[in-house]
Amino acid sequence: NEELWVQSVLEMPKRRDILAIVLIVLPWTLLITVWHQSTIAPLLAVHKDDGGDSQRDLAAGLDSKEYCLSDRDIVEVVRTEYVYTRPPPWSDTLPTIHVVTPTYSRPVQKAELTRLANTLLHVPNLHWILVEDSQRRTPLITRLLRDTGLNYTHLNVETPRNYKLRGDMRDPRIPRGTMQRNLALRWLRETFNKNNSQPGIVYFADDDNTYSLELFEEMRSTRKVSVWPVAFVGGLRYEAPKVNAAGKVYGWKTVFDPHRPFAIDMAGFAVNLRLILQRSQAYFKLRGVKGGYQESSLLRELVTLGDLEPKAANCTKILVWHTRTEKPVLVNEGKKGFTDPNVEI
Amino acid sequence: YVYSRPPPWSDTLPTIFVITPTYSRPVQKAELTRLANTFLHVQNLHWVVVEDSPRRTNLVSNLLEKAGLNFTHLNVETPKSLKLGVTWIPSHTPRGTLQRNLGLHWLRDSFSNTAPPEGVVYFADDDNTYSLELFEEMRYTRRVSVWPVAFVGGLRYESPKVSPEGKVVGWKTVFDPNRPFAIDMAGFAISIKLILEKPHASFKLEGVKGGYQETSLLKDLVTMDGLEPKAANCTKVLVWHTRTERPTLVNEGKRGFTDPRVEV
Repeated sequence: NEELWVQSVLEMPKRRDILAIVLIVLPWTLLITVWHQSTIAPLLAVHKDDGGDSQRDLAAGLDSKEYCLSDRDIVEVVRTEYVYTRPPPWSDTLPTIHVVTPTYSRPVQKAELTRLANTLLHVPNLHWILVEDSQRRTPLITRLLRDTGLNYTHLNVETPRNYKLRGDMRDPRIPRGTMQRNLALRWLRETFNKNNSQPGIVYFADDDNTYSLELFEEMRSTRKVSVWPVAFVGGLRYEAPKVNAAGKVYGWKTVFDPHRPFAIDMAGFAVNLRLILQRSQAYFKLRGVKGGYQESSLLRELVTLGDLEPKAANCTKILVWHTRTEKPVLVNEGKKGFTDPNVEI
Repeated sequence: YVYSRPPPWSDTLPTIFVITPTYSRPVQKAELTRLANTFLHVQNLHWVVVEDSPRRTNLVSNLLEKAGLNFTHLNVETPKSLKLGVTWIPSHTPRGTLQRNLGLHWLRDSFSNTAPPEGVVYFADDDNTYSLELFEEMRYTRRVSVWPVAFVGGLRYESPKVSPEGKVVGWKTVFDPNRPFAIDMAGFAISIKLILEKPHASFKLEGVKGGYQETSLLKDLVTMDGLEPKAANCTKVLVWHTRTERPTLVNEGKRGFTDPRVEV
């Protein structure tokens, strides 16, 4: 009898049991599947922008913090994911830094742009405006820009050469890079509308200088024009703006012509994009500019001394160095060349 | 999401130990800054910085702490007699030798030959320029790998000669191509395993002819046909032997114009 009873118990409402089992097991299966996927695949949706089509995504290092309170409280899982992409993901809240770099062809050009790009690739919301001093945009630069993954604009304008006087050399009266920087200013004014433009900062970065990552975060908060010290200019360890106790710029700590309206190097200031768009006729003066006055030729049309915003701890820290690269000795190439000219350096 | 710099460490990727000798001069901080900016993109990189100084300096210590890189900070001072080359033998101790050897010594002290870590050693001077691609090329070196270097030997670049079978058979250089290893310091990497297997292989300190420093180490580690050519069989340039001009500081005058407490 017992056996029969057991048997009949086992054969009892199977359908209800099955339903119960399914309702219990199914949610857990779903939960486990989702959890499993999320720990394997990168969670971050990388924001793609114009130039950045090859962002390398190396997501790892999951930090799980679980706050378990009581049975009735909601369990909150806060996961901090450390991601590395190159460049960092675009942010909707950070002002864009437009870095204007004039460049020209010479043996060390690719090396300079490579190490500059390696620095820029750490800076979020950076837009690199590379302006070649050339008749046409060169394949070397085109390839380099594309391969970095940076957000970029590639322009070119050739500085006219004064053939009669010096054959191959440029007109000595036009400081190098001027036409290229001006072209970038014009491009910015043609591309962005001063009424509804996204916040931006413009910085002129030559391709042989050295920039710390901190510098870019200092300049991001520029309201009109911000300034800071620059190393290895004016025959000094550094030149710096003079800042008073109230945090206002009142002069320039330089030996060379400290009475210039703006005795500051190209690498020592940044301008809010809005100001560039408002003062749409402000450009670097092309001709008749005395040595050391190029920066003044632009800044005097944008701002007064009192409006300048000192950065880098009230201009006491060095965050940018005006380094220069030696010209490499290529004497062993001889007349006909020794190395394969098809190999790009 | 927090942007991390350098990329998170991986348990499966071989480590790249980069040994950089460095010395104090005006452009030192600038050089190390832009070098760090490059290294901060490379996964599983361990930077061994060796100062040519009697003590580790604050400048380098602070820079390394702030950068966020995985690092080891060493120092050894090159004795003045070696620096000045005041010996009757017309040779010299090339700069950085003692420092690189100390880096090798640290590796041998830190890791055992019986369980060597997966990885390579690369000697990176603080004024050269390195592409990110270079580090991925060297990462899987089995013994010693080699590639072209720009701006050395008075040429656009020097390069190993690679046969159609992919073996190194010589050196495309003008200066002394018959050296056993006619290659620049920046043109090769050595597997950790090999460094630990041959604990006596070091750069020769004295009596080294110009251009033979690299040979003085490599001859004890590998033969030419054991070399692994990288960079598309040594047809691409991924590293440039750039040199930085010395800045003119003439306006500092005798007593100094700028504040010496402001670090440059």
